[in-house]
Amino acid sequence: MTAYKRVQQWNTFARVWHLYDATWQNPFESAQRIMKYLKGLHKPIYHPLNDCGDHVVVINSGEIALLGDEWRKRVYFHHTGYPGGATWTLAWELHDKDPTMIMKKAVYNVMDGNLQRRYTMQRLHIYPDDDVPEKIKQNITNQIRQLRPVPKRLDRYAPEEVQRFPKVMDWPKNYILR
Amino acid sequence: MILGALKLWQRYTCLSVAMCVPRQNVHLSCAKMIKEIHESQEGNVRIFQGVNILSPREPYLVKTDDSRGCCTICSLGLDVKHTDVLILSQFLRSDGCMLPRRVTGLCRNQQKRMSKMVAMAQKAGLMPNIAPPKSKMDPKRRYKWKKYNTYFDESTIKDVRSITSGKKGASTQM
Repeated sequence: MTAYKRVQQWNTFARVWHLYDATWQNPFESAQRIMKYLKGLHKPIYHPLNDCGDHVVVINSGEIALLGDEWRKRVYFHHTGYPGGATWTLAWELHDKDPTMIMKKAVYNVMDGNLQRRYTMQRLHIYPDDDVPEKIKQNITNQIRQLRPVPKRLDRYAPEEVQRFPKVMDWPKNYILR
Repeated sequence: MILGALKLWQRYTCLSVAMCVPRQNVHLSCAKMIKEIHESQEGNVRIFQGVNILSPREPYLVKTDDSRGCCTICSLGLDVKHTDVLILSQFLRSDGCMLPRRVTGLCRNQQKRMSKMVAMAQKAGLMPNIAPPKSKMDPKRRYKWKKYNTYFDESTIKDVRSITSGKKGASTQM
């Protein structure tokens, strides 16, 4: 094996660390994409018996966005195993308790329930804000593209920008401005 | 920027380039004047006066030369999303209320679409600075589920026409 081939082999099987910013992203759509990186499905060498999955670091999981009224309609079920041990927790209540849990459960649920699932989940690192430990931050070499554009608030625009934006409506004559 | 807003900007720049005339506030006909109420205090007397002012929107208005008499949004063919706050905020009063149709000049369908999308943007906390004072338009100050980010699907807004035709269908069955 030449030196070139050896380095190529290392690079092929090296684990890449991806960064994903979950700000204003739907966790359930994002989970589909994150899962592919975790399992290594995006690689041409993928095989289920081939341990080629990557690490994904998800930041700002506290800033995820859900569609419409899903914050109070989505329910997480847990049963302790004892009689009367069932609990139903709404998505916003779960997010209050742990801002990483919805993201984690979303990724866990899109994966097949086989023996590899727990080990694949160990390669997922979720942080509620952009405060990532330095040890993990220095591994990151790639960023996963966000699925939906992050909306910009009106007060984040400069006042001149708002004023000079093309207007589709003008007030009628003698309109009293207020 | 969002696609609808970009398209509007392109349209605006195209029009201004096509005319090749720098926009000036010189009017041959009567200028469109709007009124503003000024409040001042002189000793014991508080004075309210209505002042005629030129509309600050005049130089930035998009010209729509539509022969069919459509409203501006229809004739521009804009696909407005609830995140296009620069467009939606034009239809609002300073306290965040939607302006009526005789002021906005929109067709019935677009007026409903716009007011629904204004409500969506306000629920998502995208226009926190257009609100009555002390309101909780800033999502971080809200309680329970309202403090978390929410986005909406514009396809859930129903057409006005389909509703009225449905009602007509129901009445004919009666």
